[in-house]
Formats: sequence, C-alpha cells, structure tokens
Amino acid sequence: MRYLIFTIALLGAQVLYAQNNYFYIALDVNTPLGNKDFVDGTSARGGRIGYRAFVTEDSRVSIGVDASWTTFDTYKPTETFEAPGGAITTDYFNYVYQYGLAVSGLYHFKLGENERVFPYAGVGLGANHNEYAQYYNIYSNAEKKWGFLVRPEAGILFKFTRNRGLGAMAAVHYDYSTNKSENFNIDKFSSVGFQIGLIVMNRY
Amino acid sequence: MRHLLVCATVLVAIWSCRPEPDDYDLLDQMVVSTNYDTTVYIGGNRVNTYKTYALPTDTIGYVSNTDRNDTIRTSPQYDLPRKVLQAVETNMSSLGYTRVGFDATPDIGVNVYAVKDLNLFQQVVYPNYYYSGYYGYGGYYYYPYVQTYAYNTGSLVVEFVDLKNAAANKKYVVIWNAYMGDLFNAVNQLDQSIEAVNQAFDQSPYLKVQ
Repeated sequence: MRYLIFTIALLGAQVLYAQNNYFYIALDVNTPLGNKDFVDGTSARGGRIGYRAFVTEDSRVSIGVDASWTTFDTYKPTETFEAPGGAITTDYFNYVYQYGLAVSGLYHFKLGENERVFPYAGVGLGANHNEYAQYYNIYSNAEKKWGFLVRPEAGILFKFTRNRGLGAMAAVHYDYSTNKSENFNIDKFSSVGFQIGLIVMNRY
Repeated sequence: MRHLLVCATVLVAIWSCRPEPDDYDLLDQMVVSTNYDTTVYIGGNRVNTYKTYALPTDTIGYVSNTDRNDTIRTSPQYDLPRKVLQAVETNMSSLGYTRVGFDATPDIGVNVYAVKDLNLFQQVVYPNYYYSGYYGYGGYYYYPYVQTYAYNTGSLVVEFVDLKNAAANKKYVVIWNAYMGDLFNAVNQLDQSIEAVNQAFDQSPYLKVQ
C-alpha cells in the first residue's frame, strides 16, 4: 500500500512539474452498445473536460485526468404491464445519466516535423456513476450505481498554429463500466463515443 | 484562450448536464393503474356474479387534504364529471352490466372521484380493499385511506364496491379500482380523462358479466 501511494505521489509530482501539458473541452457523442432494451440510439448530450501533462522528455507519454458526462434517453410508447392483481398502462422515458472520472495514460505519436499534429492512443481507468431513471407522467423511478470504468481511446490533436497553444481535438473511445441496476435489470454498461473539441496546449 | 475554454465548458455543461423529458410529452397521457380483488376475479374462489350497478348521474366526488375548492367543477372544463360518468356507463354497458338506481339493490356501487394532494399509490399493488363507508349512501362521503407511494399528486379514481355481499361481509369491499393520473397536470384534462377511463376498462376484460 505504501509503495502504491509513493508511486502515485511520484507520478503526481511529475505531472505537476511537467513542462508540457494541455487542457481540453469536447462535445462527446455516444452510442450504447448493450442494454438496448433500456436506452437505444446515439446521444449528442455529452461532454468531456480534461487535463493531460507530458511526463517524458520527448513529450510522447502523458498522464491526465478526464471528467465526462453523457445522457442517454429513449422514449417507450404506451405499453400495458400485467402483474398479479392488476395492470398499469403508460408511455415512458428511460434515461441514463452517466458521469465518469478517469486517469488516463496516453502515447502521442510523432507526425511530421512541424509539431502541429499529434495522434495519440491510450487507456483511461476510473469510476463511472450511472443514474438509471424512468419518467412517466409526473412520476419517476431511479437507481444510482457506481462502477469501475475502462476506456481505451485513440485520437488526434491539432494545433491551429505552431507557436500558439490553441487547437482542436477529435477522438474515438470505448467505455466499459461495471455499473449494475437490479431495479432495471441492467448488468454492466458499455458505449462507443466520438468526441470533438478544443485544446489549449502549453509547450515551452 | 482560457476564457474561450471556460465559456465552451459552461456551454457544453448546460447543454448536456441533466436533461429531462419535456413536460408536454410526459403529461399528454395519463398513467392508468387497475387493481382487482384476486378472490373474485381471475381464478378467485368468490365467483364474479355481479350484474347490476349504480352510478351517480352528474357529479363525481372530490377529496383533497389541502385545497377545499373543487377545481373539477369550477374549472372551465366543468363538463368533466358528466363526460367521465358517461364513459364509465358506456364501458359498463359494453361489459354487460345493467344500470339501476341506488334504491334498487345494485350488485356494485361505482364510485368515481378525484383526489388532490393526497398521497396516492400509483404502482400495481393490491389495494386497500376494506373500509366502512360508501359514497352515495346516506348523504355522506367516506373514502378509504390509501397506502401511499407518490406525493403531491392528483388522480381520477373509479372503483367498484361490492354491495351484493355487503351484508354477508359486514363491510363494503372494493373489488376493483382504477387510478388515473396525473389529473391536475393533464394537457387536456377532459379528453385524457375519458381516454384513461376507456383504457382502465380495456385492460380489465375479466370484469365482463358472466
């Protein structure tokens, strides 16, 4: 445990003193891959912000923190649910509110000599908080669950000019989390996403 | 540049943080929950032998624990009680029941009432069947205490009270009920109420006269 804390502290210190880093903000478009009975379709209601710092001399490897949020929703037409002793009829909306926090490790490839384009690939590990909600008329049911998050990701950073830090980014990622919901019969949650956004890069 | 990033963050957060369905889409149709006495219907040991019923002509009950003003009867849509009662009558007729007066010993007393701000159960459950009064007799209103789940809600309620066996049971037993809500937030209160009443009977084919 002490070794783990020491390692994390060392990595943190490296990040803090790193010379090269960037912030980003991105719109995140996601499609769920499983649990399509509950939510289906692509959602553009998502975003991500993050900070990544290069921890090697050649500015190839970065460590960062990403915060993400996505809302999936699906309308379910009117349906009658039979149960012992009665039935209930309603149309309803299923929602998943997903909030993630991950630590990422990325490798940035060198592309050309002008140092404006940086493809990268890596993986993020962290936690996902999913709120599963069902809305019908003025009523609602909800269940909140935490889960472990694994997020492989590949993308590209593009600086608008060589000497200034502002740029754009685009990436694809696959999110797999262990969130369960007993009430809504959901086991694990995975999605694939595409993000596009702005970066502010500090390179000295 | 940092300001741009902050603005973009705020915009993305506002756009996507925690959206909910539009009210109009939620409220354009009532939730219809029906519950039946399992000792009477669908394999129950007390056979469904009901054939006649009594129903008020032009008023429905109103129960509220906060607002004493009857917004059903004073609202511009003040047709609601009569239209709802007509819908109940049409459905009862389709099921084979005969309407009789309150003094003609009906098998079933049909209660129709609206509740507001009472905490009402809106899940599929066994209802609280037993209570000691009946709306329509003796000029008094006495409604059952209903087990609660939701809150600050308003529902239209239709229920069947077993009058045929009231003496033998020594109490009035509700053998079927329908909760339809939310009544007071409906986009079109009148049309949605009638649709809800029709749906309540549609999803209860076991009520048909044997």
